[in-house]
Amino acid sequence: MDQLLQTLIIGLAEGLIFALVALGYTLVYGIIELINFAHGDLFMIGSLIAFMLIAPKDPSGGLGIFPIRADTPVPLMIAQILLVLVITIAITATLNVAIERLAYRPLRHAPKLAPLISAIGMSFVLQNVGIIFAGSNQRTTENIFPTQNLLAVFGITGFEITTSEVFVGVVTIPLLIGLTWFVAKTRQGKAMRATAQDPDTAGLMGVDVNRTIAITFLIGGALAGAAGVVQILYNNLVQWNLGFRFGLNSFTAAVLGGIGNLQGAVLGALVLGQINAISDRYIAPAWTNAIVFGVLIAIMVFRPTGLLGQQLADRA
Amino acid sequence: MSAPVESVDTSTPIGTGLGAWLGYIGTTVASLPGTYRSSVKRRPRRMAVITLVVVLALIYPVLNQYFLAGFSRNVFPLPLPDDTVMTFMAIFAIMAVGLNIVAGFAGLLDLGYVAFYAIGAYVAAFLASPHFSAFGINFEFLSLHGAGTPGIHLPFWIVIPIAVVVVATFGALLGAPTLRLRGDYLAIVTLGFGEIVPLVFKNLSNVTLSTTLGPFQINLVGANLTGGVQGINPVDPPFLPILNIPFDARSGFLPVYLGIVLLSMAILVARNLQYSRIGRAWIAIREDEIAAEMMGVNTVRTKLLAFALGASFAGIGGALQASYLGATTSDFFDFTISILVLIMIILGGIGNIWGVVVGAVTLQYLDKTFLPYLGQRVQDNAPWLPNPAQYNFLIFGIILLFMMRFRPQGFLPSRQREAELAVIGLSAAEVEMGVPVDEETGLPLDLDNIEVAPPGQSEIGPDARAPEVPSEGRKL
Amino acid sequence: MMQETSHPSPSPSGALLTGTLDDAAILVKARGVTKRFGGLTAVSNIDFDIPRGSIVSLIGPNGAGKTTFFNMITGYYAASAGEISFDGKPIVGKKGSKVVSKKPHEVTAMGIGRTFQNIRLFGTMSALDNIRVGMNVHLKSHWWDSVLRTPLMLREELASIDDAMGLLDLVGLKGRADTWARNLPYGDQRRLEIARALATRPKLLLLDEPTAGMNSSETREMTDFIRRLRSELGLTVLLIEHDMRVVMGISERVTVLDHGDKIAEGTPREVRANPLVIEAYLGRGAAEA
Repeated sequence: MDQLLQTLIIGLAEGLIFALVALGYTLVYGIIELINFAHGDLFMIGSLIAFMLIAPKDPSGGLGIFPIRADTPVPLMIAQILLVLVITIAITATLNVAIERLAYRPLRHAPKLAPLISAIGMSFVLQNVGIIFAGSNQRTTENIFPTQNLLAVFGITGFEITTSEVFVGVVTIPLLIGLTWFVAKTRQGKAMRATAQDPDTAGLMGVDVNRTIAITFLIGGALAGAAGVVQILYNNLVQWNLGFRFGLNSFTAAVLGGIGNLQGAVLGALVLGQINAISDRYIAPAWTNAIVFGVLIAIMVFRPTGLLGQQLADRA
Repeated sequence: MSAPVESVDTSTPIGTGLGAWLGYIGTTVASLPGTYRSSVKRRPRRMAVITLVVVLALIYPVLNQYFLAGFSRNVFPLPLPDDTVMTFMAIFAIMAVGLNIVAGFAGLLDLGYVAFYAIGAYVAAFLASPHFSAFGINFEFLSLHGAGTPGIHLPFWIVIPIAVVVVATFGALLGAPTLRLRGDYLAIVTLGFGEIVPLVFKNLSNVTLSTTLGPFQINLVGANLTGGVQGINPVDPPFLPILNIPFDARSGFLPVYLGIVLLSMAILVARNLQYSRIGRAWIAIREDEIAAEMMGVNTVRTKLLAFALGASFAGIGGALQASYLGATTSDFFDFTISILVLIMIILGGIGNIWGVVVGAVTLQYLDKTFLPYLGQRVQDNAPWLPNPAQYNFLIFGIILLFMMRFRPQGFLPSRQREAELAVIGLSAAEVEMGVPVDEETGLPLDLDNIEVAPPGQSEIGPDARAPEVPSEGRKL
Repeated sequence: MMQETSHPSPSPSGALLTGTLDDAAILVKARGVTKRFGGLTAVSNIDFDIPRGSIVSLIGPNGAGKTTFFNMITGYYAASAGEISFDGKPIVGKKGSKVVSKKPHEVTAMGIGRTFQNIRLFGTMSALDNIRVGMNVHLKSHWWDSVLRTPLMLREELASIDDAMGLLDLVGLKGRADTWARNLPYGDQRRLEIARALATRPKLLLLDEPTAGMNSSETREMTDFIRRLRSELGLTVLLIEHDMRVVMGISERVTVLDHGDKIAEGTPREVRANPLVIEAYLGRGAAEA
């Protein structure tokens, strides 16, 4: 029982990271019906940037601009993490907008599969950018969070929640709520939903479609960057091919929740986090990817609208 | 490039049965020299290029072994493909021809083509290796290597058709659930299959299972069904009995010719399919699936056939690879292989058989010969520079981006006009239009007379006037 | 909303038009055909007969359900209720309590060919091959015949080319065999679409707005051509058409749909005089005026 609860906690933390990435998939698909194959790799770039900023030159091979260590005083640590978040988000968001501008916008009126193939090309490019900056081996950082069980306060000892899980929640949950509010309530969010419904009509109604799509990529890139920072601080590792696993899980989450549906993507990501944790723990890590792909195929074939159906865009 | 033009005599009715078929094959083969001559007459420059390429492909492996490789080793290093690279050129060209059927003709983007490659390789590894002796399954009498060899040792020539059938079956099985899906979903679902299949081969190395299947009692304890991460090793090479010639990595240029023979057969089969009822149905589905169905095309059946027939080519490729290398491992079969084959057909010109063959050969050369060569030069002379061989997939990614942006139809796009005049379409056109005919070959003397399109249209071909070819309706 | 279906009075112009025909003279017989999309009823409880050898028009304002009805005859939409039989064989019928429809390619094989409101040719295929796709249902060779180039396949291919050339000739596209469909002028594309439909060897030809976008002389040519198809090939023709001159000029019988209901049926003259029809097209005031 304790073991199961521990597995669920691990799954929850990973699911929250998936959720940030899944929102990028679902936003982009909702608005231009593109499976943004490179999105997982953008997330990897985010993790890599954070790694470069945090990890000391020796022995990790980072730049060590914000050398956060386990013994860094807490206020300084928080300030540094915030700075790392801001810088990483700024870079990945800008990068994502540039990718849209260069690789996808020129193909907006091409046959539908052309941007998908272009996105696959971009995915390879980003992976190789990762290799150029960090080599092809796995890079690791030191765990900066205290490892004592926070639940000990309540007298629970069989399983644990540590500061690192709390950190994941503290960063991801406000972002998820903030994004939902942005799309639902703001003027720009309205423009996004209008463009998702019908770009031509939205254009006629005075929505700047290009700008709206660019902002969607900006938001998606920002979320991927944030997820990247959270990932490196939580898992303490990064590698050029990290984006494949996270991309696969997050995309599956987006499809599971009904692609284009923001709440659905978050829900799907939480489910996927659990599937991963349970499969890793109780089946075998070697089968986890196959199981996730199995889930993805099953949803796409038998329930292509996902569990909650499409919301942001409703034109299948 | 067009397919070679062949002629059919319309004046005498075609008979039935084996005799008529043999007669047709005979006349077709007999008329090849005449066909070639008239093609040279028609388009001398193009035919000169084709002739040069074919002759080069046929003599290069020998030339390389006896002269060029030595020159490159001892005198001056040149980026020359070796026997292994050439064999893999053939293997990948066979796969490109197959993927072109699914993605090029029928317009179904398959991102998991590697699954069929893997299945083909494992079929060969299961049926021609000592692997199953561990389960007490021995068919020594089947072996061309003589008695006393444990395990199953089917000869390569029997493995190939089995691999084709098995892989085609899997093609249909994996294709079936995707039939109703839209293009991008289909791409992702096939990608999923492409990831799962090699994972299954990798992970089924410790199976404990006890069940009764009909008359058979199956009891497995920690059974290594697939060889796991190590894969299956050794696998029997293709072997020509009587002459006692093996075609493996140690037999020099011989496997290259085996590859060329299999590739030629693949091209012939694909071309025969293209210029037929099924080929037209595929292209019709690619152009407009609903209209195709309304015009009487059974879209379910036709798409399944595309999946099955397209996959079977990868079965040949996989079986050849495993037999040639004498081993197979699951790690070899990953997503990048699917993408590599996709780049080959995009580069060459999706839909055009000769284009995708050229694309496959070019990309394989780039990946396995030119970039490593360049990398070696960089390492020797400027070691501070990045090694281009290490960044091959960066280059391939950029190729994909570039092709989608600037040349989605590829460098050798399929020409429907050429296609139309090819094969037997010609004779009817000629009958209809009264074009002067070469007595010997039955071919029109001047093909330009057949083109009745407005001036300016006939010479450059339709795609030249529509540079944005796949802009509407035509899906990749 | 129209509730009642008005039945035409027997007309003096012969048995063909009176509805008193026996079943053998009726090619298409539809009874109670209904199509619902979610909560919307696009076609509601329609009875409809097409006599053999006739030219029948289906008219009505936009959104009346004409194309939906077409799509049910061709099997593209599964009907929600009702029965359609063609040449005595069911297209839409009951299997137990479920309404089942034939698949489009099966309907095509039964002998129904169609064209589309927005031309749907296979753009990068030649005119000849567009037509040969239409012959697909009548070709017997399998894929292995194609691979092996068997005599059966070769004979069929040659015959299909001859037939396709003949059809090109028939629709006036002789010499255009090798041109990509998308490179043909608009009018030629319309004609190629008809040739492709004829290649399925239909008994019934469904034409969805065949004169849309044509000028008056092209329209005249097209109506003459449709008449010729009937007289020379013995076809039955069902038209959807907006151009009233075309409808009144060539149809023997006109059926009017409005909001999914059949509101009138009869000879062009009867229909033109029907107040319900005038109202449907021009609004209530016009009918009373």
